[in-house]
Amino acid sequence: MPARELNMTRSSLAALSRRDLLQGAAASFVLVGGRLVADAASAQASAATPLNAWIAIAADGKVTLQCAHSEMGQGIYTTFAAIMADELEADWSTCDIVFSPVAPAYRHPVYNWQFTGNAESIRSYHGLIRKMAAAAREMLVMAAADQLNVPASELAARDGKVLHKASGRALDFAALAQAAAAKAPPAAPAVKPESEWRLVGHGRSLPRRDIPDKVHGSAAFGIDIKVPGMVHAAVMSTPALGGKAASVDEAPVRDMAGVIKVVPLGNVVAVVAEHYWQARLALAKLKIDWQGGETFDDAALEKSFRAAQQGKEGWALAENKGDAVKALADTRHVIEAEYSAPWVSHAPMEPMNATVAVTDTGVIVWAPTQGMQMTQIVVSKVLGVPPEKVTINRTYLGGGFGRRLLADFVAQAALCAKAVGRPVKLIWSREEDIKQDVYRPGFLNQVRAQLGNDGLPAAIHFKLVAPTILAPVSPTPIRPGMVDALCCEGLMENPYAIANRRVDYNMLGTPIPTMVLRTTGHGPNNFTVESFVDELAHAGKQDPHQYRRRLLGDNPVARKVLDRAAELARWGKAPRGRFQGIAFADCFGSYLSQVAELSIEGGAVKLHKIVTVCDPGRVLDRINATSMMEGGVVWGLSAALYSSLSFDKGHVRERNFDRFRVVTLPDTPELVTDFLENRPAIGGLGEVGPVCVPAAIGNALFAATGVRHRRYPFALDGVRTVYGKIFG
Amino acid sequence: MATFSFTLNGAPTTLDVDPSTPLLWALRDHLGLTGTKFGCGIAQCGACTVHVNGEAVRSCAYTIDSVAGAQVTTIEGLTRDGPHRLQEEWIKAQVPQCGYCQPGFIMAAAALLEAKPHPTPADIAASITNICRCGTYARISKAILAAAGG
Repeated sequence: MPARELNMTRSSLAALSRRDLLQGAAASFVLVGGRLVADAASAQASAATPLNAWIAIAADGKVTLQCAHSEMGQGIYTTFAAIMADELEADWSTCDIVFSPVAPAYRHPVYNWQFTGNAESIRSYHGLIRKMAAAAREMLVMAAADQLNVPASELAARDGKVLHKASGRALDFAALAQAAAAKAPPAAPAVKPESEWRLVGHGRSLPRRDIPDKVHGSAAFGIDIKVPGMVHAAVMSTPALGGKAASVDEAPVRDMAGVIKVVPLGNVVAVVAEHYWQARLALAKLKIDWQGGETFDDAALEKSFRAAQQGKEGWALAENKGDAVKALADTRHVIEAEYSAPWVSHAPMEPMNATVAVTDTGVIVWAPTQGMQMTQIVVSKVLGVPPEKVTINRTYLGGGFGRRLLADFVAQAALCAKAVGRPVKLIWSREEDIKQDVYRPGFLNQVRAQLGNDGLPAAIHFKLVAPTILAPVSPTPIRPGMVDALCCEGLMENPYAIANRRVDYNMLGTPIPTMVLRTTGHGPNNFTVESFVDELAHAGKQDPHQYRRRLLGDNPVARKVLDRAAELARWGKAPRGRFQGIAFADCFGSYLSQVAELSIEGGAVKLHKIVTVCDPGRVLDRINATSMMEGGVVWGLSAALYSSLSFDKGHVRERNFDRFRVVTLPDTPELVTDFLENRPAIGGLGEVGPVCVPAAIGNALFAATGVRHRRYPFALDGVRTVYGKIFG
Repeated sequence: MATFSFTLNGAPTTLDVDPSTPLLWALRDHLGLTGTKFGCGIAQCGACTVHVNGEAVRSCAYTIDSVAGAQVTTIEGLTRDGPHRLQEEWIKAQVPQCGYCQPGFIMAAAALLEAKPHPTPADIAASITNICRCGTYARISKAILAAAGG
């Protein structure tokens, strides 16, 4: 059985030098029986010889590979390391994977910022980590050339050895590591051609390294961390957004078992206790005087969207090609519609939590985070210590979907730890997880198109009103009046050949905190574009698949994706009583087409099949890529059918899974998934799977009922499914 | 505070906690068994599923005073001798994504197979009502069917 422990890098604060950081050298803790203990094997790994920031080789042959990213279900822990092992020509069975520290070496090569999101982990790091692994391989080969006294050109690395074919001699990486580390890194390491990939690509798949522990219940998520002397915190936030705790009457909890301290934190009040449930019991008894909260409701929100849509203020020009305004001035063949998307919560299965210890020499954080660098900076700011004194230990994430890019929950844990002078694990209840979410906002989109004589749009004009999703995670300020590029994704640079196109965007300010969520702007915008394109096809009495083929013009790579989806779905040949809808997207560097097939039974929707075809350029791990698509479809089904938030008295009404409905096992139809690999560059996968699902289902609903749904989830329009809510 | 005695994964266990403490937090926080997960606190998501006297229950909404004298089994004690056949099929099918909810699913599926060794897809759909936000449902069904057939 593989080791059950999760290695967590935990740099020795006092001894940490910049060189150590760059090389990723770090001591480790492991969880054994739920306790965090110093780990002998990892200590050995830290004694391994680093060849660069990513790769270290120990005397026993163990290769330690640094995973710069967060594992939140997307399988990056395995695939990221496999890319390096492949390029290094390491023996995969000798490779250990650790979560890297927060350090400049691990930052996104373009954004210069360490985070996991936007389906960036492979597409933005693949070139970099192949180069780093190729450099390490060449250094090993140089060391072998010295030892064997032969030219490096006669040597080849394979399976953890450097081989001299002519003489049959071979040297293990372990025996070469120290001499290799002394070599100057090659300036231009030669990356292998794809034909020589041995661990990834070409339909291959590796068993995910994290899965056995996750199946046995031994994997360590943030919520599972235990450190010596640790106590627990529970929090309650303001009942109305914007409110603050003016005063807290602690008398009712003073004598309660286990209670250590009440910690008011402005919009949140925390109770720290010996055990978590003691903190929860005390929290419920506290008398808190909340002041100054918002009072808005759905009607007020709706009014502000309408006012922005109809007004002249706040608009920014996001895209303008040709002259859509002029083309649309002739209103004879204009079709227009208004589409909207709902407010939703991330609600990953593991609620936000973090564990923080404030020590004499620095601050140690254990957190399930997508925003490792953000976490370091936020904790540094709230505790007033330099960032280099804040060590971030990363755990597995019980889902992320964008929420864990922010570090507000870690800041609360840090302030509690400081207040009580002991390590604190802070856990949000599900209700707090939704109340303190930073939501994906509603989108309101007015779209107009001018149809040409060929039935295709000669001009299209989008007027989108949406609160920002980029601002909280943007390194540069994003303010009203500016274009939020993520909000406009999928409207801008749309793949369809339309000569005149214009996208106007109005960043609505609301009292509600907003941010990216899985699919970012592509999700809501694809619903608008692909439902509207369906309307245009039907207006011209054209087949929706063929219509999109024509719109893709001379883009054969995109057309192949659309055609393959139609082929796998047997487009146009659905069994009697079943109806199909198709949609297409160019998102996150990948092409996607999905076909939904459904029937109406007793007035309710029954889903039969979702076909997904994706072209991400290269599929590095086939089974895991399929997981991303299958799971993405389910995420898209929740979005399309059920999930939305409503507001009353200044806050969300839906605060748990009883009212924030998501898809469960019975709702899951047959999933058919295929990949093409024709795009020239590697694209993303994690965000992609859900993107076309709402439009594909909406288009199938139109085919079935003749009713065009211009908002989702379709439950808002009274669309029921045959899957009764089986609980609650 | 009060004292509660029950059998946990085959071993007699005694705990001194507030009677309102959910079994979930007794397991995680007092007994160090963190394979049972917290997801919702209102018995909706099933991440906290354990067996009490052989039945799958949602331990977040099951107070410690109601398990006095009972046999409690968690993911850590699902089998005594190597992995359960469900766990083997789960690995074969590469079911988990984030993995957080998976012990709850496996505990729910194990109780299903005890009650119904050869469930149909409809039986699975009717009895496995846990939530997985990563959307691993299709592979969960596949793994349960494989375990039942094997």
